Amino acid sequence: MANRVQIPTNNSALIAMIADEDTVTGFLLAGVGNVDLRRNTNYLIVDSKTTVKAIEDAFKEFTTREDIAIVLISQYVANMIRFLVDSYNKAVPAILEIPSKDHPYDPAHDSVLSRVRYLFSSESVSSGRR
Amino acid sequence: MGTTAAAGTEGRGEAVGEEDGAILQLLDSLDGYISLMGSLSSSLRQGWLELSSARHSMGNSRISSVLFDMKPHSSATTVDLTVSTASDADQATQPHFSLLKWGSRGDEKSPSVEVDGKTPSQASSSTIYPAVAADNQVRKKRSKALSMFGALVPPKLRVAQGSFETSLEAIIEIANTRSTILSALGRLQTVDLRS
Repeated sequence: MANRVQIPTNNSALIAMIADEDTVTGFLLAGVGNVDLRRNTNYLIVDSKTTVKAIEDAFKEFTTREDIAIVLISQYVANMIRFLVDSYNKAVPAILEIPSKDHPYDPAHDSVLSRVRYLFSSESVSSGRR
Repeated sequence: MGTTAAAGTEGRGEAVGEEDGAILQLLDSLDGYISLMGSLSSSLRQGWLELSSARHSMGNSRISSVLFDMKPHSSATTVDLTVSTASDADQATQPHFSLLKWGSRGDEKSPSVEVDGKTPSQASSSTIYPAVAADNQVRKKRSKALSMFGALVPPKLRVAQGSFETSLEAIIEIANTRSTILSALGRLQTVDLRS
């Protein structure tokens, strides 16, 4: 491995959540909840009444805030905004797709694994052409 | 001409070696990622079950998002983010995440402190030592998180809190593995472009 210069940009950052009520409740019990002076929270509870636009807006907000290091999103919610999630390519905040009570984790839909599959499929195509 | 051909072969060999290294790192990380996702699913399932149990004993209205604390407050559990910058410009920065559960790293050893020139064993029993004080702080923060559902909460809710704390640890490992995967993908793409 090449020499790496460690720049200790020590920042205490938040974990944001876009998930169902039980998942958000659980993580709030674990101390993850944050409410700022404008009463903006670091989570969005998704239920049957939550619109896709609201989810998109929350995703865009959480991925552009500098005080958020990780965004947890239930995979079934990520599927509603799949284009947005798959086109996100920054290292921070890290977008992690997590299972929910009614929707178990499916590796086939995970955006990180999809990126790997795409790389290997394009590599196999290009090696076939050589 | 022989020297140029040898140099070209050596360069291609290096690229193949680099590619192999990146592929191995990627495959290892993928295996770790999927395994960690399995652990996360397991701890989350446990947490949801315990939460449902607590809701059953307290009543649906007693554990609800309506009761969430909406007063301005800081998160007690945060993430410490460090970014390593490679000296080689081809390699991307790789973030590293650490969990600060209830404001403490958890793996830090509390230093033994001399109080008023006395060692901890010699000092008076009424003196609060850093380790004990830290434990008390963590206990207070845990209780505060539970208190949004009332002063008296069932044991199942406390257990659920523990399960979700375990899930957070898995999440941090997944985040770090994700960083490694993306870094390996970046290296592979760079090697591919060069060749």
